[in-house]
Amino acid sequence: MKSTLRNPYVYLLFVLPTIILYCMFFIYPTITSFVYGFTNWDGLNHKAFIGLDNFVNAFKDAEFRSSIWNNLIILLFSSCIQVPLIVVFALLISSVKRFQGFYKTTVFMPSILSTSIIGILWGYIYNPDVGLLNSILKNFGVETIYWLAEPKLAMFSILVTNAWQWMGFYIVLILAAILAIPKDIDEAAMIDGATGVQRAWYLTVPLIKPIINVVIMLSIAGALRVVDIVLVMTGGGPAGSTDVMASYMVNKAIKFGDYGYGSALSIIIFAIALILTALYQLLIARRQERIEY
Amino acid sequence: MPATAKKVIPHLFMIAYVVVILVPFLFVLFSSFKLDNNEITQHPFAFPKHFSFDNYKETWVKAKISVYFFNSLYLAFSAAVVGVLLAAATAFAITRMKLEKSSQWIYQFVLIGMLIPGNVLFIAQYFLVRDLHILDTHWALFLPYTAGALPFSVLLLAAFMRAIPHELEEAGTVDGMGAIRMFTKIILPLSIPSLVTVFIINFLGNWNEYLLSNFFISKDSLRTLPTGMVGFRDAFQMNYALICTGIVFSVLPVLILYTFLQRQIIEGLTAGSVKG
Repeated sequence: MKSTLRNPYVYLLFVLPTIILYCMFFIYPTITSFVYGFTNWDGLNHKAFIGLDNFVNAFKDAEFRSSIWNNLIILLFSSCIQVPLIVVFALLISSVKRFQGFYKTTVFMPSILSTSIIGILWGYIYNPDVGLLNSILKNFGVETIYWLAEPKLAMFSILVTNAWQWMGFYIVLILAAILAIPKDIDEAAMIDGATGVQRAWYLTVPLIKPIINVVIMLSIAGALRVVDIVLVMTGGGPAGSTDVMASYMVNKAIKFGDYGYGSALSIIIFAIALILTALYQLLIARRQERIEY
Repeated sequence: MPATAKKVIPHLFMIAYVVVILVPFLFVLFSSFKLDNNEITQHPFAFPKHFSFDNYKETWVKAKISVYFFNSLYLAFSAAVVGVLLAAATAFAITRMKLEKSSQWIYQFVLIGMLIPGNVLFIAQYFLVRDLHILDTHWALFLPYTAGALPFSVLLLAAFMRAIPHELEEAGTVDGMGAIRMFTKIILPLSIPSLVTVFIINFLGNWNEYLLSNFFISKDSLRTLPTGMVGFRDAFQMNYALICTGIVFSVLPVLILYTFLQRQIIEGLTAGSVKG
């Protein structure tokens, strides 16, 4: 029987639009990024091949180095401070019966909103004159604090906003894994007299290690992808103190027309993302044996 | 007593968390009904005295929030619909049609796209859009939005369609159905749950997108909500009551969608991140 499911023309009809769009907006830009990265293109006419100059300059560029540092701070903050909190909150939600759904829905909510709107919202909360934070602190006699205008505070303020937006997403991710653990393990430990904290630490946490690893991986990827919030809240300022790699790259390209250099920066971001993910996989994730239950 | 304490402690922590999440929204909501900054500073936490919707009228009409809103709505919607349909057609071809070798290749090829972080392609996409002469038109967002969602959508839909029993098409073939009718009459209706999930994820992604929208569109009348709102904030820096109204306009539709479809949204977004 000659099946219509073998008809190559129909097959092409189904597949071709996707392939064309995908090649246009993924494959072609990837290739051109690499080409531009080796030129000094300013977007108009000169496009001279300059070898590795852009890459050498990038690592000499003090502002870019400080933006790498900021990405690193975000990465460390999210994996060393946020992840433990995320696990604790997921354990807390899993331990209650009442309001579990309500907690889950509420903590997840900020992660479905636009980062730029959240940037505006928190910019308002941080506003030195009318913002919520200073209004509260004023009652305790604290002087006006310039959350986003003080170079030392600005990065911290952005970190808090970023955590506020994304923690709930990961809490729900881990919560789902906790709830998928068969109840009898927990009950057996309970009969043996283990306390709630003991069961959480010695039973649940080891069992959800794979998903904790996923969360750390996603946090690493997320830390390198941070850009909207910086552009909206501070634009990289004050004095470049909150610039991350991506915001620096975007500003270099669009504001200053340094497209060749900007492309080189984007290749570096891509490379750093690949290296960090691979390193994490090799050093940490692979050491842990899979747990079956 | 200790037993009740044990039950209450987790709730105390969670209530604190919930308060931290909700208070900013309440603050914005209250502020949006106030006259101006003066009233906000004098009574930052007070319930608004009068529920006047003047701010809402003013932002909606004068500040063009309505324009941004409908731009966002139709762009996010159309790109999500087209993206889902294209991905569904591709997923159908590579999971249900009998050209296994090419299907394998195409599947792997499309999934490479998930490795590339979005903002890495930003500059190159900017020039692509410029060379296509669609910079500063809605095509400049529609095409990258549609394309950007494809790898992930194909992945999810292919996983779903693979699980549909093959007897259905065999019956269809016996009845003399062509591949196209099989797709539209059998597989698409059966895939509706996963189509909805993928649609929601794409819609939210498009609705919230900022970077491309900010740099590929400069005409004010074409802006989407996230970028329009940033421009609005910068223009009305002094009046936070109006800005808060704008925030309410941009957040409300998503929250309404969320109250009705929270299960699908949560499952879709978390499944997408773990698989991706």
